[in-house]
Amino acid sequence: MKNRAIEKHFNLLDYALSSLWRRKLKNMGIITVFAVVIFLVASFQILTSSLTETAERMLAQTPEIVIQKMSAGRQESIPLAYLDRLDGIFGIRAAVPRVWGYYFDETSGANYTVMAADRSLMPEGKNLEMAIEGDFPAAGQGEAALGREVAANLKLAGRRTFSLFRPDLSLKSFRVSGIFAESTDLLTADLIVTGLDEGRDLFAIPENLATDLLLYVANPGEISTIAKKIAARLPDTRVLTRPQIHKTYKVVFGWRSGFASICLLTALAAFAILAWDKASGLSAEEKREIGILKILGWQTADILVLRFWESLAVSGLAFLGGCTAAYLHILFLEGSLFRPVLLGWSVIHPSLKIVPVFAAGDLLLIFTLSVLPYLAATVIPAWRGSTIPPDAAIK
Amino acid sequence: MFLNAWSLSLVVCSIIVLFLMINAVRTGVRVLRYWDPASDSTLQIGLENETWLASTLVEFALAVQGLSLLLFILAADNYSQVIAGAMCATGSLLANEYGLPTLILKLVGFFLYGFWILIHQLDIRSEVYPLVRVKYLYLLLLIPLILADLILQTLYIANLDPDIITSCCAVVLSDTAVESGNLLGILPQSAMLKLYFGTITVLIGCALLMNNLVPGLKSVAQRWQAGLSFFYACGWLWFFGLALTAITTVISSYIYAMPFHRCPFCIIKPEYGYIGLAIYFTLIAGTFFGVSIAAVELLGRHPELRVQSGHYRKGAVYLSLVMLIALAILSSYHYLAYILTGGEG
Repeated sequence: MKNRAIEKHFNLLDYALSSLWRRKLKNMGIITVFAVVIFLVASFQILTSSLTETAERMLAQTPEIVIQKMSAGRQESIPLAYLDRLDGIFGIRAAVPRVWGYYFDETSGANYTVMAADRSLMPEGKNLEMAIEGDFPAAGQGEAALGREVAANLKLAGRRTFSLFRPDLSLKSFRVSGIFAESTDLLTADLIVTGLDEGRDLFAIPENLATDLLLYVANPGEISTIAKKIAARLPDTRVLTRPQIHKTYKVVFGWRSGFASICLLTALAAFAILAWDKASGLSAEEKREIGILKILGWQTADILVLRFWESLAVSGLAFLGGCTAAYLHILFLEGSLFRPVLLGWSVIHPSLKIVPVFAAGDLLLIFTLSVLPYLAATVIPAWRGSTIPPDAAIK
Repeated sequence: MFLNAWSLSLVVCSIIVLFLMINAVRTGVRVLRYWDPASDSTLQIGLENETWLASTLVEFALAVQGLSLLLFILAADNYSQVIAGAMCATGSLLANEYGLPTLILKLVGFFLYGFWILIHQLDIRSEVYPLVRVKYLYLLLLIPLILADLILQTLYIANLDPDIITSCCAVVLSDTAVESGNLLGILPQSAMLKLYFGTITVLIGCALLMNNLVPGLKSVAQRWQAGLSFFYACGWLWFFGLALTAITTVISSYIYAMPFHRCPFCIIKPEYGYIGLAIYFTLIAGTFFGVSIAAVELLGRHPELRVQSGHYRKGAVYLSLVMLIALAILSSYHYLAYILTGGEG
């Protein structure tokens, strides 16, 4: 009994595939258009998950709390005296003043990120040694460690020194103490790391100021409590916590991909209408086929199942094709079609190496957004076709 | 928070279900007004054709609704990463007052559509379609449910407030823990487990009795057939609630291997090998077949449906039995593994 039902479905599937094959051209057209639509939806979805994942990986090593001083809604340098006002908040493992900023190199048109902090204050500071081929810049010696991109851009060619302009266009010279290892390119490609004093000197920041303060918290469960206490003691600052930054990344990526998906929904709706139209406009030949099947003893239900298998085969092929193409797009082209939409249009973003993340949930999401509307759009035309009385179809 | 791929796909699902059901209901209204099995007018023949459409549409809507139930839980899990204080789906479902009602409504809807398909399948197996009016009335009654589902879900998504760093506000307002107190932990763990496995044993015994697999008790089973059916259905209904409670309070923490992590949603995550999906699938499918036996028992009083409902009853008892055993194995696997590797109960 059960085996016969399964056999019947196999036979119907067989017939469905052969009838799809008979109308190759029409069906290939539908599959191609459908696959392109799915490719667009899937690319966005995979790119969003991958970027979120990448951000998560990058944020894992950042300090738990960053304090920025705000003035008139804008960030400005923070006085080191603020550090004293943090005394007595328990749970802060280390507080590190940092000077950092962007340096625009006019000769090459590139933007470098200059970062200066006292390594000895950082809990994991010793480990920074491992990321560098050479030495970490010693404090107060005029040394700097460069990312590989920076080293290439400065055209050092074996020289050990280079100079950068201060804001008043006088030259500040540095000696290269080491180059960041290739494996850290993701984070260090555009980076110049130097001592705190050298950084202040380069950006002309007074002795008693820093760009922001980094706080390391021993117990991650205490981050938000500590952040609250800091916010109460330093009301003119913005306190950023790592979980908050993480959530913001997620919201922004989610919002942008959602916005993009809404734009794509129009494409999807257009495709559903096309599918509806294709399915309801039966040719005389197709009508005759249904008539003959009915005379041969097929029931309305059988023809409905046949149409269902056809739709499933078409959408399944398109789904596979679209998702594979999207995966390859992210893997080899790094989502270059849509990356600007998700990352923003700024040119200073370092080149990220995106690893495609493909979860079962994403697949389900893409399926819901693409295949379900198609199937829903073809049900009613399929029924209309299958209820044609056989005599009318043959005449 | 509509600008999110998960929200969008939930909305798309709802719109598809609504679209399909409205089309099915159009047929329903016409059937209720003009259905006349004695007539052979064009109208009647047209209506008989349309019933095929309606059933296909409802079957499709059911599939979409099932998917939307799964999608809703996955979406809630995804929202938890952006909502203040939420660690998993529990947190985001409790983020506003519409989350849990939406989930419950989706679950109830899934059962009610299933019953419609069951009635329909019984109906078309009879030559005179005895249940046509009943099933289309039923279909009309489903529409408010679908609308309520759509409205609640929209309210839920619209009222979600993601926690985002704004440039003006420095203070971290979010609290880390808003996990609700556990209202379900009324019974101690050991009593809960005894009750859980006790109910499973009773249900298995009842199912074996109903399908005449207990030698010597055949005549008893036949004499008390109706009573047994209702008992079995009620047993499943009770078991459904009990199992959800037991999974939340006892079984889940064995799956997580963490005594204080009790969550009914995290077990469907890939970290735990999707075991939650299998557990909920067997539980929901088993409950559906178990409870449907009572409905079929009532429908079987109709002289035209006696044979069909008898067939169905037998099949449904077997299926619910298989689901129950699978559920028992799946839900006790981690517990047994823990006990066997030297854990203390």
